[in-house]
Amino acid sequence: MNWPKLRTFLLTVLVLCLIPATRYYQIDVPLLRFLRGSHHVDPLSLHLSGEFVENNLGTEQEPDGSVIVRMIAQQYLFIPHCVLVPAGVAVHLRITSADAVHSLTFNGTDYAVKVLPGTISEAQLQFPRPGEYKMPCREFCGAGHYAMRSELKVVPRDQFPALRPEERGNCAAQ
Amino acid sequence: MQRNNRFSSVLGRSAWPPALLTLSLALIAGLTASSLNLQARDNPPDRIPSYVAWTPETIAAASGGDAFRGMLLAKRCDHCHGAEGFSPIASTPNLAGMDKLATWKQLEDFRTRKRLSRVMEPIATSLSSRDVADVVAYYAALPVLPDPQDNRTFPQSQADPGHAAIASRLISFGDGERGIPPCQACHGPVAYRTGVPSLATQNAAYVLNQLEAFANRARTNDINMPMRTITALLTEGERQAIADYYGSGLGLQPASSTAPK
Repeated sequence: MNWPKLRTFLLTVLVLCLIPATRYYQIDVPLLRFLRGSHHVDPLSLHLSGEFVENNLGTEQEPDGSVIVRMIAQQYLFIPHCVLVPAGVAVHLRITSADAVHSLTFNGTDYAVKVLPGTISEAQLQFPRPGEYKMPCREFCGAGHYAMRSELKVVPRDQFPALRPEERGNCAAQ
Repeated sequence: MQRNNRFSSVLGRSAWPPALLTLSLALIAGLTASSLNLQARDNPPDRIPSYVAWTPETIAAASGGDAFRGMLLAKRCDHCHGAEGFSPIASTPNLAGMDKLATWKQLEDFRTRKRLSRVMEPIATSLSSRDVADVVAYYAALPVLPDPQDNRTFPQSQADPGHAAIASRLISFGDGERGIPPCQACHGPVAYRTGVPSLATQNAAYVLNQLEAFANRARTNDINMPMRTITALLTEGERQAIADYYGSGLGLQPASSTAPK
């Protein structure tokens, strides 16, 4: 048995295992996306068909009271610009990018959602108290990045308008 | 007996085909109605701002024009858009030096009635796709910088200094508090996005008309609604200030150099 050679080999294997182990936070989200599949959207034709057409953006009310929020991140805006959700219910966020990498964060909370072109980023959020949160972009996305900021309005559940199934809520409609 | 006879004849061989026909027709009608109803409930008609999507094929088709052929075709555009691409009419856009993709998209939207104009719709409809690519190539090749020998009609107005300070702030920095991105991040000269027009040599009245039209949703052909969102966030005074700033030729220099200290 050639012990020095075996030792080198084992050490190499250990190092190779350590690289993904220390970088797992970078690989796990794309890996999960890949495993789940069917999250692909064409960033160039979001406006033509599918889930992210203009009239489908905003807050959709589910029969059980929870809401789905659909958004597009595009240089240098989040659309819709002001999102309205009821307090204390499950908020299912679905967001995709039309161009660069963005990151949707909610000031005053720990939530941060990475937004990549070509895939739908999903997040389960909940806002217990009514209030207003600024939603800045935290991933440098270009010349107008520093002004890329939209707003989330959390209103008490009884103040949230009852939406028809095809209707989407936002602050402007309130 | 007679009644019984008739009854049996109704259920008999001769009466079955019409009965079956009626039944199946009713079934088909019912199914169609329910499926139509279901469609109406589940998928309201998509609101499409523009049929243009900036795929590599679209960009290649829009930017592969012949500028010389475009010059001949553009003779009929001279009357409104000016012989040098600078319009004598304040509410008509200047097209000199305009990005090919920007002009191409607007002609395409006029043709498909996604941007409404009684004047431009028949003109855009009459052009073939090759003609459109050639015309936009011609206008993109026209010079923007002033020359003492030409008789262009730009700038048509002088900016009010107070107004210019408001505008240059919005154009160079935007307003982070309200989430308004700077104009120059997409409309130049700092950066451009695909298919976005340069505004540095645009007429004030035209810019103002378009800002108002976006804000009132009279014009809705911006993909993913950036312009409708931003113009609605601006006040009326700010829209006027931005229009005056570009219309007086201040946009030819980077806005930050004229920003207030």
